[in-house]
Amino acid sequence: MSIEINKIRNIGISAHIDSGKTTLTERILFYTQRIHAIHDVKGKDGVGATMDSMELEKERGITIASAATFCEWDNHEINIIDTPGHVDFTIEVERSLRVLDGAILVLCSVGGVQSQSITVDQQMKRYKVPCIAFVNKCDRSGANPERVIEQLREKLGHNAIAMQLPIGLEAEHEGVVDLATMKATYFDGDNGEILRVAEIPAELQELAETKREELIEEASNFCDELADAFLEEREISNEMIMSAMRKGVLSRSVTPVYMGSAYKNKGVQPLLDASVALLPDPSEVSNTALDLNNNETSLELGNSNSDPTVALAFKLEDGQYGQLTYIRVYQGNLAKGNTLINTRNGKKIKIGRLVQMHANQMEDIEAISAGYIGALFGIDCASGDTFADPKLNYSMTSMFVPNPVISLAIIPKDNKAQINMSKALNRFSKEDPTFRTFVDDETNETIIEGMGELHLEVYVERMRREYNAEVTTGQPRVAYRETITKRAEFNYTHKKQTGGSGQFGRVAGYMEPFSEGEFDFINKITGGSIPTQFISSCEKGFKAGLKKGALMEFPVTGIRVEINDGAAHSVDSSEMAFQAAARGAFQEAYKKAKPVIHEPIMKVVIETPTEFQGTVMGTINQRRGTILGAQEEGPMCVIESQVPLAEMFGYSTVLRSSTQGKAQFTMEFANYRQVPQSITEELQKKKAEEGKKGAA
Amino acid sequence: MLKKDLMMRNPLRAVSDENGYILPEGGLGAVVARAGVGKTALLVQLSLNSLLKGDNALHISLGDPVRKVSLWYKEVFNNIGVQYQVEKIDDLWNELLPQRFIMTFNIDGFSVPRLNERLTELADQNIFHPQMILIDGLPFNEEIKRTDLHALKELSEKFKSHIWFTVRSHRHEEPDSDGMPIQIGKFADLLDVVVKLEPEESNIKLNVLKGSGAISSQHLSLDPATMLIKE
Repeated sequence: MSIEINKIRNIGISAHIDSGKTTLTERILFYTQRIHAIHDVKGKDGVGATMDSMELEKERGITIASAATFCEWDNHEINIIDTPGHVDFTIEVERSLRVLDGAILVLCSVGGVQSQSITVDQQMKRYKVPCIAFVNKCDRSGANPERVIEQLREKLGHNAIAMQLPIGLEAEHEGVVDLATMKATYFDGDNGEILRVAEIPAELQELAETKREELIEEASNFCDELADAFLEEREISNEMIMSAMRKGVLSRSVTPVYMGSAYKNKGVQPLLDASVALLPDPSEVSNTALDLNNNETSLELGNSNSDPTVALAFKLEDGQYGQLTYIRVYQGNLAKGNTLINTRNGKKIKIGRLVQMHANQMEDIEAISAGYIGALFGIDCASGDTFADPKLNYSMTSMFVPNPVISLAIIPKDNKAQINMSKALNRFSKEDPTFRTFVDDETNETIIEGMGELHLEVYVERMRREYNAEVTTGQPRVAYRETITKRAEFNYTHKKQTGGSGQFGRVAGYMEPFSEGEFDFINKITGGSIPTQFISSCEKGFKAGLKKGALMEFPVTGIRVEINDGAAHSVDSSEMAFQAAARGAFQEAYKKAKPVIHEPIMKVVIETPTEFQGTVMGTINQRRGTILGAQEEGPMCVIESQVPLAEMFGYSTVLRSSTQGKAQFTMEFANYRQVPQSITEELQKKKAEEGKKGAA
Repeated sequence: MLKKDLMMRNPLRAVSDENGYILPEGGLGAVVARAGVGKTALLVQLSLNSLLKGDNALHISLGDPVRKVSLWYKEVFNNIGVQYQVEKIDDLWNELLPQRFIMTFNIDGFSVPRLNERLTELADQNIFHPQMILIDGLPFNEEIKRTDLHALKELSEKFKSHIWFTVRSHRHEEPDSDGMPIQIGKFADLLDVVVKLEPEESNIKLNVLKGSGAISSQHLSLDPATMLIKE
């Protein structure tokens, strides 16, 4: 791993489902001699493609979890992060995009730019990932790479420019013409491994010249020297074109388009050449970390091995030897025996075994350099954790973890499922800090909590698939809360005299709304009316009251309690008596303090083609949503809104069907807001019905 | 303090008619100033004024993203909260939020027919009916034609609303012979009110170049620290 940083490429292969992304990756691994046989994605030969390491992926022929793999091409080391193509697994995609420096956008030459290509493209745009495009499946009937380039321009707003011309299409697809070198390339041998470079076929010569001119004209926008040479009609070399295009790619101003058919072993090697020539090395990409000592201010990281180490654990996997942690080193050198700090919890970690991954196989290495991707063994951490030199307190991701807003009961089918479910839950809560789990004391059910319906669905599905845990789920429940709206006094005496020692305690004071936090307790007792040793019992008693509000039994938040008077008895007062007195005082005042229900409001951002703008806004309106704004960006429109979570169940289906699958949305927790009176009544009615059912 | 109190203490009340409007129905108004003097801040306060009255306001920004426009509102509203000691400002803000709609376009992507199409769609679906439209960043010096302003006036009449624009002027430019900034000189007859923001020593004066009624005799300015309107 002593290779120079400019010889490293961390790339992702992004595409929508079924555009042949995994097949392309498989061929890349074959040509870079990482694997020695080619397998089908759908697993007809019982092996399955190498990158799809999860069972579910092999069965469905799709990639869900992104495995990182390593290969070498033209003296460059390439780390490929296989990103999921399915829209429902965007958490994985976004996590992968955080560690990539460049990407290959794979498109189907028949299907062209489909809604999921739009999704993937938008994610790349969000993370400013430079990319090149590969138009795959040129051997299929109806293949039309020219149309795909047109769609890249129109639908995705890319400045797409062809770097190649196909030699024959559909069944006659034989090879490609390189417009920079003006040579034809054919792919001979059983697996297309023998490249034959020849003159351009006569019938394509004229078209190739026109296309080359278009390419040079575009490339000259990024290089003055090339522009001059073009205007003066001097000879233009391949290197000049590639160097200009590289500048364009790095600034995301141009998308060079390559083509071929991975399945038929055509066009993959030139694509590898292009990845090395056009995509950035880690030192050309700026990465930022958050300084935890300085209020999470963002700062740029260096790329040098000599800087103090900063690395991000971006994926965890359960292997046969324990937890495998995929890691990207941003600066510094991560070597065996190093001691680093996990900045999330401040724990020291000692680096043990380091490996470089090749899907399910691995190679032991001594160190991971800056800009590199590798994996660690025997480290207990969660996904998204940052490992940094003890001198630094940096984090690659924000430490802010929002509280879950939705919960779901899960019931294992049998004892075996119960054991597997526990394993799965343990793993998932490590992978994802927004996923939590606990056992409800009253119902004895296992509850999972998360940030949205889809979020929980994905985990339930993974539980079934990866951990073989057969579970059934209850209805999703929104995490409503109760709070008070006005100040109310209390003066409560708890008194019991039923044989044995009695119980006595009196607490007086008031409660009022508190906006800065969940609960605040103020002790203003003077003159020892409540002895000091019982004050903490009072606080405990009030806190017990917070667990269930008297209105609808939802947790209570946003309350300040002040106690300023009380009474005790020298014999009958005890911790228990004061806890009971405080609980009673809470109930007494709570009803007077006009309690209301608050519900989680989600920030929903929808990206849709402008022609569906009105329809999409209609769907928000029907869901008690507030549209904050609409932003038009070329053919797409971004609608920002706030919608109560309770109204968002099943929204992905509604959005897909009302926009022909062309819109996508993201949802995150925004705040809690008071539920309108009509909805409160509905909730109360529903609760009463449930109560009746329970009693029956 | 409730909405009503805030309305009563609003300096814009002094320049409005008995219904609280500065412009006549279907009217057009312009806020002219150099870059960074406070056009957007004034526009946002005109918008907040109508939100507090219970009217719906549509804020169109050419160039800035929704997030940035939202930030302007939040900033100005918080400053108002501090200045007038409003309790529970978040609750009041949540109450006003559904009345405000932000729409942003790239300058190239904006056209009056397009805006008309969007507004009609919103109105037809009963999603949003604006009583006040604010357009920030219309390029008055280059591409705007008289026909565009005529079309906007028609739009304003159709929705029974008022439209305010921001117009960016430049330090080196001399005004027209009638004192109008060069950018809007040729459109002055189509505008009902033209207000120019002029920085003075300790504040920013609102100089009314065109307008009748209460607005013509106002003595308002912007506080450069908070960008809030003061008497």
